[in-house]
Amino acid sequence: MSVLLEVINLRKEFGGVVAVNDNNFVVEQGSRIGIIGPNGAGKTTTFNMICGAFKPTAGKILFQGKEIQGQRPHTISRLGIGRTFQNVRAFGSLSVYEHVLTGILAHDLKLIPTKEQRERVETILEMTNLVKFRNTTVKDLTIALQRKIELATALGTNPKLLLLDENMAGLTYVEINETLELLRKVNKEMGMTLIVVEHIMKVIMELCEKIIVLNYGKKIAEGNPHEVANNKEVIEAYLGEESQYA
Amino acid sequence: MGDIKLTADTLKPVPVWRRFLVPGIILILLILVPVFASEYVVYVAVLAIIYAMLAGSYDLTTGYAGPLTFCHGAFYGLGAYASALLTIKASFPFWIAFPISGILVFIFAFIIGYPALKLKGHYFAVTTFFFGYFVYLVLLNSAKLTGGPMGLRGIQAPESFFGINFATLQGSYYLTLFFAVLFLGFLYFLVNSGFGRMLVAIRENEDLAEATGINTALFKVLAFSLGAAIAGMTGSLFAHFFRLLHPTTFAWMTSEMIVIMALVGGLGTLIGPIIGAFIVTFILEIMRFAPEYRYIIWSLALIIILIIEPAGLMGIVRRLQRRKR
Repeated sequence: MSVLLEVINLRKEFGGVVAVNDNNFVVEQGSRIGIIGPNGAGKTTTFNMICGAFKPTAGKILFQGKEIQGQRPHTISRLGIGRTFQNVRAFGSLSVYEHVLTGILAHDLKLIPTKEQRERVETILEMTNLVKFRNTTVKDLTIALQRKIELATALGTNPKLLLLDENMAGLTYVEINETLELLRKVNKEMGMTLIVVEHIMKVIMELCEKIIVLNYGKKIAEGNPHEVANNKEVIEAYLGEESQYA
Repeated sequence: MGDIKLTADTLKPVPVWRRFLVPGIILILLILVPVFASEYVVYVAVLAIIYAMLAGSYDLTTGYAGPLTFCHGAFYGLGAYASALLTIKASFPFWIAFPISGILVFIFAFIIGYPALKLKGHYFAVTTFFFGYFVYLVLLNSAKLTGGPMGLRGIQAPESFFGINFATLQGSYYLTLFFAVLFLGFLYFLVNSGFGRMLVAIRENEDLAEATGINTALFKVLAFSLGAAIAGMTGSLFAHFFRLLHPTTFAWMTSEMIVIMALVGGLGTLIGPIIGAFIVTFILEIMRFAPEYRYIIWSLALIIILIIEPAGLMGIVRRLQRRKR
């Protein structure tokens, strides 16, 4: 498998705080990667650097072999990296249909949307099970549905790499299963590479083939779900160190 | 989610003929105005149409793309003075000075807007406020070029075209109305096009718009400059209609009136600010007996409107439509 994204010695400092500390990892084409870690471990900061929202203090990000660090978010989106935000973001006053259409038009701007573009909206709405809300105003919908709309809009930009930042937070068990199924589908059928930040272990364990564990900005483990779950350092990071007097 | 009933059939798209029914009737009435109305009414109608173009173009920048600006009157003034000076000092015909004034104001707004739009929210609004004041001071103090506080005289009416004399009030009226239909029609197309959708996305959530692949900086400055260019050409029309320019015409009060018109009608609806312009012009006219008080009364009215319905007149219309369903 070829390498899609390569992160080399990536570092981000906010004042004196090192949010991401010289991390390295490789994402292969078509893979499903999970990034986990306690709060403040640098997961979202890493995402923000890949997407161009933050400029790294040092290090390189290679996407399809080209350096992309420090470029503007819209440029990176056009290269083929889509994302969803940790705190749900939406174009509130639009209908669900218009919301998804906006994503498609953003990458292929037509003054009047073409028939193919309109058909693609319908396909995405069907795929994400949002058809029954197509004419509802986005801000009138629940956060869970807004997360789904954000995901649907990102899918409309046809990304090669999709970064999901806690996209399933606040969803019910049934909704999580539905989104998981969708993600597996876009991964398998459309060959979309996924990087998922998630606190819900069920999602990480069921979806991801490789997990990267961050703690205090530093990568402490990397491997398949089984390896990571049994890694001593990971358990310590999550449950605290074993007491020396035990 | 039992109470969400907004399915495809409750929000049926309005048929095209019905969407153009009301504007069509209004347009026919406007065409007939000089036939049955007095000279005074026609004169006020010209001003109202000019304000409608200003409020409509203002809506492109602030209503659709989002950033609150307080310098639309300055672009209006720059266009007016540019066109007047081009015809007086460089003896250009109006028909060339008119588009050039639009292009000049577009370039000017682009140069101002590109760095200024990096500021967000109130910071940008304050910058535009001072820019508007700056333009006023320049117009006032460059006495050699603009006549300063003495005003700029000697502006000619647009040259006759197809035998229509634009020096007459009727001629001016139809000239203004023609370009109003042209510009507002163009704006209507623009805000409903893919370009308009990008602007609305930026207004709704700039971070998401950027992450979705929209070059937010470029689209914002384009919306700003296009709105300014239309205001500039409106200024040119005004200059050759009124044939006397004074800096106070383009001072803070004008920018504020445009903001008020757009707010009264409803930002981000295009038709709202146009209606708002007519309403405000009308009310200002009937309150001519008390010129000092009308702004105070008007400000109070604005505050009350914004408390009752922040989305303006179009907000009330929409609310009524929803109740009808």
